[in-house]
Amino acid sequence: MEEINWALIAPLLVIQAILMIVALVDLVKARDTNGPKWLWLIIILFVTTIGPIIYFIFGRRNR
Amino acid sequence: MQFNTLFKKEMLENWRNKKWIWVPLVIIILSIMDPITSYYLPQIMESVGGMPEGTTFELPEFLPAEVVTMTLGQLSSLGVLIIVLMSMGTIAGERKSGVSELVLVKPVSYKNYILAKWSSLLVLVWFSLALGILVSWYYINLLFGELSIVALLQIIFFYGLWMTLVVSLTIFYNTVFRSSGLVAFLTILTIMTMSILTQIFGTYLAWSPNNLSSYIFEAVLTESIPSELIGTSIVTIILSVGLLIGSFYIFRTKELAN
Repeated sequence: MEEINWALIAPLLVIQAILMIVALVDLVKARDTNGPKWLWLIIILFVTTIGPIIYFIFGRRNR
Repeated sequence: MQFNTLFKKEMLENWRNKKWIWVPLVIIILSIMDPITSYYLPQIMESVGGMPEGTTFELPEFLPAEVVTMTLGQLSSLGVLIIVLMSMGTIAGERKSGVSELVLVKPVSYKNYILAKWSSLLVLVWFSLALGILVSWYYINLLFGELSIVALLQIIFFYGLWMTLVVSLTIFYNTVFRSSGLVAFLTILTIMTMSILTQIFGTYLAWSPNNLSSYIFEAVLTESIPSELIGTSIVTIILSVGLLIGSFYIFRTKELAN
């Protein structure tokens, strides 16, 4: 795998990290979510990329 | 005047619920996934294994235009799904929770209310799309070969029309139903039906919006704009505007009935 140029893949990893951090901050600040908070924490942390997305779509509750 | 206020409110709301952060990021991921994975296909095959000893994997040579099509394919499936899910509750959810009644109890016209929803979503979607395709274009130039800036702008513009239709369709179903799940389901179902019809009656429906991606491929490959692309774009714009006007009428009759 040495042939892989990490400079090409780094942006992808950075974007995934930003997505996860934004979702985590939002989860911590949220007063209430659809479903238990600890479950969303696990989903955001352990399901890469898709976890934060489904949190934003289904987990967030407005106000 | 009133539209401006409502539009600003929608933009602020989409910022507060983080759509302005996550939608562009997800669209970027979707846009660059295929250029990167097809570039590293030989290495991926090797590391996955399962190949007999001594097998040499012939690297398929992709043309830049082909990689563009891959990116658009990814955006047409998962990208559309994300955009539909992101906008499924924009009006339906507000009507269910009673927020729309709070807004519409003031002298706000139904037209401006829907127009503000529609245009704020479009700004977000076009921004995300432009960003995603720009990054994908950069990767394609780096990994597969040259693609002109004119091609980049063409891809963004013509593909944006397709996404405009998707947003208009979602807004339309949003005014008809109150359940956001149903809105998402029917939007996806409609898009799938359109795609099947286009495949079956291909010769009669040459200007079907579902053909936009393949005409974009042609345009990038031949570095000219095929006349079908213009025709399809006009059809797509007419359909989007038609759906928007339809939403005004349906929303008005629904709200007056309450």
